[in-house]
This record gives sequence, structure tokens and C-alpha cells, in this order.
Amino acid sequence: MRPMPITRKQATRLIKRLPVNRSVSTATRTGSRVTRMAKAIVKAPSVPAGVDLLKKEKNVGSSYDTDWARSYPARVARVLILNGVMKPLVDLLATPSIHGTDRLADLEGPAIFAANHHSHADTPLMMTAIPEPWRNRLFIGAAADYWFTNRVTSPISALVIGAIPVERTKVSRKAIDQSLELLADEWSMLIFPEGARSPDGWARPFTSGAAFLSSHSGVPVVPVFLQGTNKVLPKGRNIPRPAATTVVFGSPMYVNEGEDSRAFAARIQEAVAALGDESATDWWQARRNAASATTPSLDGPDAVSWRRSWARTSKAKGQRRSWPQV
Amino acid sequence: MKALRFERNIPLFAAANIAGRLSSGGGAKVGPLRLRNVDTPRLPGPGWVEILPRLTGICGSDLATIDGNSSRYFEPIVSFPFIPGHEIVADLSEPFEGVPAGRVVVEPVLGCVTRGIDPVCVACARGDLGNCERITFGNISAGLQSGFCCDTGGGWSTSMIAHVSQLHAVPADWTDEAAVMVEPTACAVHGALAADVAEGDTVVVLGSGALGLLTVAALRRYGRKCTIIAVAKHPHQQELAREFGADQVISSGHIARPIRRITGSLAIGDGDIVRLTGGADHVIDCVGSESSIAEALTVVRPKGRITMVGMPGHVHVDLTGLWQREITMSGAYAYGIETLPNGERRRTFDLAFELVAAADLGRLVSATYPLDRFEDAITHAANAGGRGAVRIAFDLRNEKERNRA
Amino acid sequence: MPRPGFVLDVDRSTPPILFHHGEGFRLEKLPPGRSRVIYPAEPIEPLKNPDGAIRDALVNPIGDSEPLTALLKPGMKLTIAFDDISLPLPPMKRPDIRQRVIEAVLELAAAAGVDDVMLIAALALHRRMTEDELRHAVGDRVYDAFAPQGLLVNHDAEDPDNLLFIGETEKGEEVEINKRAAESDLIIYVNINLVSMDGGWKSTATGLASYRSLRHHHNPQTMRHSKSFMDQHKSELHSANWRMGKVLRDSGVKVFQIETTMNNNVFGTEGPMSVLQKREWEWTLKDRITVAGMKTALDRMPQRTRRSIFNSWQAPHAMTSVQAGEVEAVHKLTTENVYAQHLVQVEGQTDILTMGLPYISPYNVNSILNPILVACLGLGYFFNLYRGRPPVREGGVVIMSHPTPWEFHPVHHPSYIDFFDQVLTQTHDPVVMSEQFEKSFAEDEWYRHLYRTSYAYHGVHPFYMWYWCSHALEHVGQVIIVGGDVRAVRRLGFKPASTLQDALEMASDVVGRDATITHLHNPPILMADVS
Repeated sequence: MRPMPITRKQATRLIKRLPVNRSVSTATRTGSRVTRMAKAIVKAPSVPAGVDLLKKEKNVGSSYDTDWARSYPARVARVLILNGVMKPLVDLLATPSIHGTDRLADLEGPAIFAANHHSHADTPLMMTAIPEPWRNRLFIGAAADYWFTNRVTSPISALVIGAIPVERTKVSRKAIDQSLELLADEWSMLIFPEGARSPDGWARPFTSGAAFLSSHSGVPVVPVFLQGTNKVLPKGRNIPRPAATTVVFGSPMYVNEGEDSRAFAARIQEAVAALGDESATDWWQARRNAASATTPSLDGPDAVSWRRSWARTSKAKGQRRSWPQV
Repeated sequence: MKALRFERNIPLFAAANIAGRLSSGGGAKVGPLRLRNVDTPRLPGPGWVEILPRLTGICGSDLATIDGNSSRYFEPIVSFPFIPGHEIVADLSEPFEGVPAGRVVVEPVLGCVTRGIDPVCVACARGDLGNCERITFGNISAGLQSGFCCDTGGGWSTSMIAHVSQLHAVPADWTDEAAVMVEPTACAVHGALAADVAEGDTVVVLGSGALGLLTVAALRRYGRKCTIIAVAKHPHQQELAREFGADQVISSGHIARPIRRITGSLAIGDGDIVRLTGGADHVIDCVGSESSIAEALTVVRPKGRITMVGMPGHVHVDLTGLWQREITMSGAYAYGIETLPNGERRRTFDLAFELVAAADLGRLVSATYPLDRFEDAITHAANAGGRGAVRIAFDLRNEKERNRA
Repeated sequence: MPRPGFVLDVDRSTPPILFHHGEGFRLEKLPPGRSRVIYPAEPIEPLKNPDGAIRDALVNPIGDSEPLTALLKPGMKLTIAFDDISLPLPPMKRPDIRQRVIEAVLELAAAAGVDDVMLIAALALHRRMTEDELRHAVGDRVYDAFAPQGLLVNHDAEDPDNLLFIGETEKGEEVEINKRAAESDLIIYVNINLVSMDGGWKSTATGLASYRSLRHHHNPQTMRHSKSFMDQHKSELHSANWRMGKVLRDSGVKVFQIETTMNNNVFGTEGPMSVLQKREWEWTLKDRITVAGMKTALDRMPQRTRRSIFNSWQAPHAMTSVQAGEVEAVHKLTTENVYAQHLVQVEGQTDILTMGLPYISPYNVNSILNPILVACLGLGYFFNLYRGRPPVREGGVVIMSHPTPWEFHPVHHPSYIDFFDQVLTQTHDPVVMSEQFEKSFAEDEWYRHLYRTSYAYHGVHPFYMWYWCSHALEHVGQVIIVGGDVRAVRRLGFKPASTLQDALEMASDVVGRDATITHLHNPPILMADVS
């Protein structure tokens, strides 16, 4: 027998590497070895016929595990994103005027920031308006069906806005327990008690989630009044437009002895309304209105939609005339 | 005779100007002032006689000339080369036309009479020799005073000539220093009386060199009763100002503040005063610089008066204030015949003699120098204030050339 | 547990002591064996719940007074007067005590239906406060609610239409105060008691008064009989104000006094400035590096940068007590609380008193400490922070360390410039200057104009600064300033020295070679209780 030009081992290896059913010549292999390895890792293996698929655990939606987003490296990353990217953007687009942060001077420990809700712009605005140190240790209960839909949006929501998934359609014990745990661990919470963005700028009735969490954890609720965010990113639009916004922080509120969550929630709503009054007129007027129970309520007159819009915008200071002057 | 002669030499003039900017009195070293041996001037006609200077003062106008700072205004009314020096006490060796032998003080202005012009001009007839309209005519060359005329010589020499009308006899018991102060005192007396202050006025005297101090003294003695505020930079000046009768002495720099308080006026500016809304009734400027004129305009009241006794030269001044506040600005030059507040008419030099005696002004001559050390003399005179001096003079009494028979 | 103040006897192993020196500091070695340093107490723990304490005080008044809730009625005329920019020193971090108290008061007023409210900064003859300063003191909410309508104002002591003559005391002292305040149904005074001189009837009788009133006690005779003016039992200034207070009370002016005290946590317990508050032998390595670094950096900086750095410092001092109700009863309690923080027991007097003067006094907040204010800070305030006897003996020497720049703030202190140039050149005697010059400065139209419309101290104020030194000038034999501008120091009538060693050498001419020395390690504030 003539000696083979290669060893047996080399020959075996060669054969193993021969492509099957490929008409391309060996001289033009696509990609390097590393790329091919990467592709093999990323691409899921095809499933052979006749096998039962393992029931895969749904890893998104309300069961998404966000603990990693509260680890130290993730927090550092979030702080950097917040201050480096989000804040300049918010300052540019929303030009926020922030008031009342001195009411938080005596606050030690975490707080539950409860704000009225107009638009998606509320979240980045709040996250950059809340002063340090609460800003850097903040989580937000976000709708699971909107913010945690797939494997891309879930980590982004968790990392960038520090969100935890909350079921909107049914009461979920899980979200509440997780929230209480985090509050006990000195994490502050951002929550929009209305549950959803207001459709016409007037507030929806405040649900009692914030009140419940506060009375069960002992963490105070800081009422916050937001204005102007519906102009920045109105419901239904995806591109933000520059507009002026206002953020007014209130004094921390604790549940009274024997007060139930619903009454506390109503009190929180009143507080936010008073802050709104303060922003529209001035603090002294707001206090007098509150004392005589004449604070203009947040949920507007019982009127048809256009009249509510009209009434709402006439409260705002510096309202420009929308008809020509003759 | 030996003399310091100021020659016409444009490049040296320019050099003096530059040197003068770098240091006051620096023009003496590089400028056209030269120590020379020259002939005594010829007598140009009857009435002229040779006199031998004993002491001659160095005046601010001399310093300006030497540093190349004097205005081109003077060019037609001085004649080169001239020997400077117009504050002169000199020896008259023989009695001459009514003037006894002995020491004389020279009244340097060259009016019609000295120029042999007859009839005299209107001004000379009035006695205002300083306003003579014939100062470039007659039998001597152009020259507003002895000390600026090539035909008369001047005090910075061992010998000069003078007209009899210029000579004033010095009392025998007077020192030479007292006599040499008569001419500058006469300038001050004329300036003080030209200001014509009203009774009760507040008068600010800017500048406390010799001229300023003498003006304070003259104002106190001959002017109507007024409040005199002297602005003095150096302690010896402040003391003298007070002695000569200033009611208040304020240091130079920001004079608006103290004058505001003394006159009780309001000011424009939010704490930092821009100018006063009221101000002093009268400002007598014995300095004559851009900044002193600007200061005067800041602190004088509307419809107030500024009298320029110091020679200003070519200055750049914002006169908007003058117009808007209806300020009167007038000049006071030389001397002649004064009308006192009580109506009396006296010769300025006579009043000056009285003042020199009354206030013992001879002590203002702080130092004297021989002609050889003229550079030091000029420098000292230019920096008199900072060096604790008031008047510097040339001492000719020991010059060899003078005492030669 | 905060340690009390104490007196350190300097020995060979004592490290160099930190002397404040204007916008900067020096480290000086005091001669061992004959020097002692009085250290202030460490800051007392502030109230945990200041807002709660305030609300509590308002409804549980001290002395013969109803709770504030009972005093507020709808339709009443209410005036809230508060201390001006001269307190606290340095300015505190937001929220200011006045903001907390005023908001608490206004909450009650709103609940009671009070509409006619006016807020007045009780600044007497001090300068008007700027918008920023008012916002800092009362907070943005109160400012925005009241200032635009002209309901938050600076007291104008030269407004003839807004002054009311109340009456005279038994000693003929005229009492004239702000008209709006006098004619109100209730004056609520919001006070900060930084030192024991503040508060009590002085708040209204001085803070809301005019020159006509003030000249009766702001004069050399009163100050010479106040030994010291920080000790109300020995202070003629205090007695005069109390007499005037009685006139106010008897004429029907009703005052609800709210007084607060603060701890002396001026530089904080963390951060680079905290080392200035620590005892020198307790400096860690980090502290020593900080001190060296700060000193090098500060010495290299231009004066303006240094000044702006120090002027922007907001101290973390915080409220330690609040009491409200009847003026005199409240003040008694407040004084005890002030003393609790400030008093340090000291035995006997020494020949020399040294002090390092900081960059700030009540009269140059956001401004320049001119030479007259340097004298007032040292010989007025620091010298008089004693009870019993001064820490230096009669005829002794006071040595102060400050750069004493010949610089004046032309907007804040215009009358000081004239006082320095035209009065101090004539006399240093407070009595002579009060007779010859005070009136013309007090009635000068231009100063009056600047006081009313600009941000200038009243024309007569520099005189008050000098009168504040009257007791010290009478008591001591010589005053030396270390490291000061030579001409300025001489103009003040004191002696300039470049180093502390030179100053001690100069002092030996007056007090002998082996003189004993006391050094006041102030700030933070301390008050010597000398036996």
C-alpha cells in the first residue's frame, strides 16, 4: 500500500468537518471559527420529530425576576444612565421646575412617592426630580403587561427605571410582598396611585395601593403633584415634544391611628390636590383653601370632556390666549 | 555769565517729552536745557538795568516746559533760546530810576511799558499786565514773561536784565527765601481773588503743592469768609494747609465722598459715587491736569464755578457736565492790579508782600541747589510733594561768575 | 454624647492651635506653661422632629399666654416679624428655622381663617434683605405667596408714614416702632437666639424700631455699662430694651414670641470643614492632610475667590429648642438653653486675650469684613462673650488675628467708608464721636436714600459698631492685630504685628514679660463663665 499523504487522525478530522449537503467549495467558508461558534451558541437547536417539548417557564411578564437590577453594579449603571442620559434629556424636553424638596429635609429612610399620572413622561421626570439619596435607591411598580412584555423590554425596564412587575388585571400578592420586602430594605418606591394615565388631564380616583403599603410598612407617603407632562408625551404619541413641567413635593404623610387604607388614600389624594392648588395659585391661598375645604379637586368638574379640558387649562398660570386679539 | 539755557532743538524736545513721561523731571537730563557760559543780554533801551539773581524758584510751568509737556500754544509767545526762571530775588548794585540799591523782586510779566510801547494797550492801562495785547511786539522779542524771552535773560543765571517797572524793593530785614516766594504768592493771590468767592461759599482747593497752599493762604486772607476744603496728599502738605487756614483737609484720591458729606448733597451711584448732585460752590484747581479737571467737574455744584489757577496744557476732558450743570470755568493767570472785596484796588505784588510777611512764607523754600546740580534740582522740584518739600530754588549767591568784578 | 467645653492648659506637648484668620486660618504655637485655650462645647443633639416641636410649642405656650390657636381669629390683623440676615451665622442650610416656624404659624392662621397677614423682616437699621436672602429665610412657598403682593417687606426705619410713636419709658427713652406692627391685633415674632444678647423684648423694641428709639440705648454710655451685653443681668442694653418692652406691652401691643436656639455645629462633623471644629490633638491623618491642603490652596487663591468660597458656606447647625408664648417667660427659658450650649467654666483672668477672627460677622453676610467690622467683631462680640468678668484683666492686652483689609463694600457699607476716612482720622473716642459726628451721619439724606432704596446699612450704623467696642476700649490697655493691613490697623488706633510672636513681644511692654494668655477657640461659639 502506498503511504497516505496524511495521518489517519488528520483524515478523520477532515471527514468530520466535511459539510453535509453543501455545494459550496471548501475554499470559501463563511466566517471565522469564532463567529461560527458564536452562531452555534445563540441559535436554538432544532427540535427533532417525535419528542415532547419541556414546558418552558414563562420568564417575562409578572414573573420576571428583577433582583439582579438591584445589585450594586446594576445600581451604578442605573445611576449613570439617570444622571448622564435621562436627566439632560428631561431637562431639555421637560424643563422641570421642582418645588418643595425642602419638605424632605427631615426625612430619614425610604419614602413612597405617590404622584398623579398624566403620561409616560411622568416616570423619567419623577426619577430625575426625586432628590438624592432617595433617587439612587428607588423602585417602581410598573404594569407587567406593558413594561415586561418580552425578553428585551423586561431587562430594560428593570435596569433603566428600576421597575418591578405588577399585575394590573388581578390583585397579585407577589407584587405586594415584594414591595414590602424592598421597603423594609430601605428602598424607596415610586407609585402612581391612579393606576393608569389620565385620559383627559384630570385625575382618576386614587387607588389605595400606596396607602396600603405605607400603613403596613411604616414608610411615609410623600405626595407629589405633576403638571405639564401630558404636553411632553401625550397619551397616544410616541415622540416627545418640549414643554414646561412642574413637580411639587409635599410633606411626608403617615397613616393615622385606626385609619383604613381607603381613608388614607383619600387623604393622599387631597394632599396632591392641595399641592396642585399651591402650584396654580400660591401656598398661602392653598392653605386657606385646604382649611376651608375648598381645594379645587384633582378630578375636575362633572362635565363632558371638552369642558373639563377647558377648565383644567384655565387653572394654569401664564395661560396664553388661544384666540386672536382684535 | 553762567546760565541754564533752553534751546530750540526739536529732537531733544521730543526726547524730553518721553523722558518726562517716564519720570517727572526726567527731561532735565536729556532735553534741550543746557548749562552754558553766555554773554549778559544787551540792554534794549532806556529803563533797563542789569540785575544779579540771588535765588530763583522752580515753578510748575518751568517743569512742564522742561518735560516737554507745555502746550504748543506757547510757541509764538516765547522766543528761543531763553533762560528760564521767573521767580526772582536779585541784587541791584546801584540805585536806578527811583529804585534803591539792594535786593529787588522781579515782576516778570513783559507788558507794553517794558516793551517801550506808547500809548499802552487797553489791558496795560487797566493794570491787567497779564492780559497785555502786545506781548510779541515792541523793542524786545516775543515773550510773555522774563524767563521766556531771549532778550531778557532769566533767573536761572548769574546775570539778567530787567525794566525798572518790573522791580520791587525788598525790605532789608527780609530773608532771600521770603523774597523769592513773592512771585508765586502773587499768582496765588490773583487766582484767589479772580475766583471771587461769595461769602459763605464752600471752596475746594485742588492741589497742595506750593500754588495750592499759597492759594489757601491768599483766600483766607483776602477773599470773603468761606469754608475752604484743601485736598492734600502728603502729611506736610496737610499740616501746612491747615495752618494756612483750610477748614478741612481731605486726602486726595476719592474726594467726592468727603465733599458730599461736607456739602450735604446727594450723589448718583449705588454706594460707589459717580458724581454729586449738589456739590461745592467753588473749585479752584491748582493742578491743571486731566484728572483734576475731571474731579473738579464731579464735585462742583450746578451753576458753580471752577477757577483754573494751575496751567492745564493740552488736555482731553468730557465737558458734558459743564454744559448740563451750567458750570462756569475760568482761568486765572499772572497778576496785575486786584480789586479786593471791599472795593480797594491794590497791586497784586503789594498784596503778595503782605501775605509773605504775615504767614512767614519764606519757610516754604525747602531746598536750594547751585546751577551745576540743575538735574537734581529739577528732579527734586518735580517730586517735591513725595519728598516732603514745597518749593525748590536755585541759589546763585555763591556762583563764581557772579561775584567776579 | 457631646462633650462640654473646657479650658486646656497649654504645655510643651500641646500641638499648634488653629486660629481663624478671616478667609483662612493660621496655626499658632502658644507659649507653654502660661497659656490656656478655652474650647467650646461640642454641638448638642438637635431636635429629632423640629416641625413637631414647633407645632407643640405653639399650642403649649410658656408664661401668661393663650395658645396660638386661641389667639388667631378670622378678620384679625396679623403681623409676623422675623429676625433678619444677621442671624444665624453662618447662614444655615435650607430649610431655615424661620421657614419652619412661619409655615407652622401660617398653617394655623389659615385654619383660623386669618386673611390680613403681613410679614416684616425686623432689621432695625441694618440693610434690607435681597430677594434671595428672603427666599432663603422664609422659603420659596411663603415668599411667592406674600412678596409679590407687597405683604412680605423689609422694615423701613426711615419711613415717616410707617412709624408710630408709642410713648416714653420712665427714663425718657422714646419708643417708636413700625406702624403696621404696632397697630396689629397680634405680632408674632419669629426669633433665632444665636447668642444670649438676642431675643426677648429686644426683638420688637430694637428690631422694629427707628433711630429715634435706638439712640437711647445704642450709645457709648449704655455699652460701657453693659458688662457684658451678653449677660442680661449686667447689661444696660438689656434693661433699656426691657423698659421699652414694658411701654409696648402697657400700650396694648400684643406680642406672641417664638424663640429658638441652635447648636453650635458651624462646620459640621463630616466633610473637609469639620476639622475646624475638632480639637487639634484629635486630628486624624485625613484631617491633617485636609488642613494642610486647605491652607495651601487658600493662601494661593485671590481674595475674591476665597471670599466667595467662604460666603457660600451654609452651616449644618440645627434647632435645639423652641419655646413660644409670653415674651419674658419665653426668653428666660431660651437663655437657659443658649447657655447650655455656650457656657464654659473658666477660672480667673489672664493678662492677654487672643482670638482668631473668622470671615463673618452679623453685618457682613455676603459682603466684606471691613476694618471697622473687624474691630466690632473682636472687641464687641468676642470680647463680650463672657459672664462674670472678662477673661482678660483690666489694663490687659487683646490680640486679634485677621487680615483687616482696607476694603469696603460700597453698596452695603457706604457710610462706613466716610466714617473710616473722616471720623476715625479725627478721634477714636466713642463719646467724642457721638457728640460731634453721629447726628450728621444719622440725618444725612444720601445715606437715608441708600438705606431705604438700596442695600446699605443706615448712616449711623458704623458708629454703633464702634460703640460696641466701648466696654473693651475702656477695659483693656492695648489692642494688637496680627497679620492685618498696617495702615488700616493704625487708622483704627490699634497696633499692627505680623506674627503672634511679635504681638506677644509688643504686649510685654504693657503686661510684662511672663504674661498669662487666654485664647478663645471661637468659632464655634462659646461663652466664658469667668469666676
